[in-house]
Amino acid sequence: MFLMRFTERAYVNYTEEDVRNSPNEAVRLTFSNSNFNPQEGHYLYNMYLDEYEYSEEMGFDGLMLNEHHNTPTCLGATMNLEAAILARNTKNSKIVLLGNPLPIFDNPIRLAEELAEIDMISGGRLVSGFVRGTGVESLATNTNPLHNRARFEEAHDLVIKTWTTPGPFRWEGDHYHFRVVNPFQVPMQKPHPPVWIPGTGSPETLVWCAERNYPYIFLETDPQGTQDMKSIYAETAREHGYEPGPENFGYLVRIHVQDTDEKAYDVGKGYMVGNIGVGRIPLPRDYASPVGYGSRSDDPRFLRLREQIRSDPFRVGGLDGAQYDSILDSKRWIIGSPDTVISQLREVLSFMRPGILAVWTNDGSISHEDTMRCLELMGQEVLPALREIGEELELTDPFQKEGVQPGLTRM
Amino acid sequence: MANFTEETISVAGGNLQVYKGGSGDPLLVLHGAGGNAGPRRYAQALAEKFTVYLPSHPGYGKSDRPGWVETMQDLACFYTWYQEQEGLENVRAIGFSMGGWLAAEMLSMTGHAFSKVMLVGAAGVKPVDGEITDIFIINPGQIRDLVYHDPSQVPEWDEMFGTDPTPEQTDQAESDREMAIRLTWRPYMHNPRLPAKLARVSVPTHIVWGENDNLVPVECADLYQQAIAGSQVTVLPNCGHSPQIEKPDDFVQTALAFL
Repeated sequence: MFLMRFTERAYVNYTEEDVRNSPNEAVRLTFSNSNFNPQEGHYLYNMYLDEYEYSEEMGFDGLMLNEHHNTPTCLGATMNLEAAILARNTKNSKIVLLGNPLPIFDNPIRLAEELAEIDMISGGRLVSGFVRGTGVESLATNTNPLHNRARFEEAHDLVIKTWTTPGPFRWEGDHYHFRVVNPFQVPMQKPHPPVWIPGTGSPETLVWCAERNYPYIFLETDPQGTQDMKSIYAETAREHGYEPGPENFGYLVRIHVQDTDEKAYDVGKGYMVGNIGVGRIPLPRDYASPVGYGSRSDDPRFLRLREQIRSDPFRVGGLDGAQYDSILDSKRWIIGSPDTVISQLREVLSFMRPGILAVWTNDGSISHEDTMRCLELMGQEVLPALREIGEELELTDPFQKEGVQPGLTRM
Repeated sequence: MANFTEETISVAGGNLQVYKGGSGDPLLVLHGAGGNAGPRRYAQALAEKFTVYLPSHPGYGKSDRPGWVETMQDLACFYTWYQEQEGLENVRAIGFSMGGWLAAEMLSMTGHAFSKVMLVGAAGVKPVDGEITDIFIINPGQIRDLVYHDPSQVPEWDEMFGTDPTPEQTDQAESDREMAIRLTWRPYMHNPRLPAKLARVSVPTHIVWGENDNLVPVECADLYQQAIAGSQVTVLPNCGHSPQIEKPDDFVQTALAFL
């Protein structure tokens, strides 16, 4: 099992009132950047990088970063910069980018260059995930949401071709046009850095990943619904001549550990102002998912799944409106002493069977001190236990898979 | 009351939904980004004097959505095709909001699209001082609040907004909004090159605006007037973005006086 550490790198120095007073009462997109203090940013960026470096010391296999725009909930607006720093300052951990929002890039060649540099500086430790981005990413970059999926797919094809086909060549697509594709820098890993795709279960994306044997990382999805999502992936995989295993799936979970259950319970409340922001005010629908961004597919399998996602009491991904205690009762977040966390994770891992576990160790208002203690306990007690459980349950990860490594394109 | 019929004709290989009613010379009415509200009171009144053609733009209402209609210029191409096929060239026309922009694009492409044109609260030209409201980051309720200056003076309010929309109507509204996003996303609701091309226009053009337009600033009326030689402007007081709905009697009077 591949164990990677994640945090969204929140900025929480604002109030609910600040959000209420902003256009459409939204914490993303239109929440004024006059609420941001770069002095605090200086402190936070360096603190978050320190925590990632410490995560490597504590034995995590991967350091996972993500990217969002126009929001205090994630300081990773240009995640590749943080990745480049970690490429230089760490030695062993994979640098897992989940992921670069492809549709918003007007120049994916530049992205291919950045990722190639990160791969070389790190000595071939890059895992290059790609995402469609939320509606906010489209709006913040003025990318037409109607073209989101088409741009995602075309930019992906262009990046992979740029990495794998000797240049110069020309690209005349529907959304991208380049007369000379020939960046001199190419990735160190061959045929290219592994591609993993995170998401909340969009059936079209699951099919697209399965066609390419790209691992799909479920972002806090409802465990029951995830089984149906996995079966959509598996059906497609079999049509393409392979049987997917744990190495094709990952799962992101908020997991926070402290010395005692009581302490962990108190500290874990800090998550509540993480990705939904201080005040926990739901984002306007036209920000999160503008008209045209979603799918209009009428495939009955997909419709059934979408209905299921909508009926998840915690709403896929965000767990937005839920109360802390009911989230904990549902075991969607795992918070406690090392023993508590290990025993709950055994259950989750047995049911979900991911080859990749993304451990969202802290967020929101959880302090640096508490985060460091969490990471330390992870290293001392939780990760070794998880490795044993992983072996016992045969949760093979992509790097352990014999033969074709998932993440390297089959198309 | 004039009798309107709804018909479907084939244009450019796809179906086009058209409301048609009244008698007399043809009058082509081009709806705005929000979609085709059908033959409302203003259209009924105009149909006393003219044969009113009120098509749903490609991608709107029950009209097909050809893949090649991506921009307002594509849409203008579609409509000149429609005009040729249906013998509707050199006719009177009214364009509302995005439909006004459409009419202006057509004017910039050909001298024989229209004999007379009214541009009403027309998008298409970038304001100098203000901004065209971004309708794509607000919800339909917020848009409606901005469109009408004084809902109490909208005679058809109850009929149009009195009941909650049915699921079908909500789906239709989303589908219409999707087409608007396709056509007007970037540059948002305007064509930077349009004013220069409007210098060719020689047909009589009447620019009509609600004084209290909260979507497309009233300064755009002057910008259109500057771009189109000989055009005239009427600003309707105490009125929002859709004079034809908010003050249909005043609007129809203005229209009939010009057309």
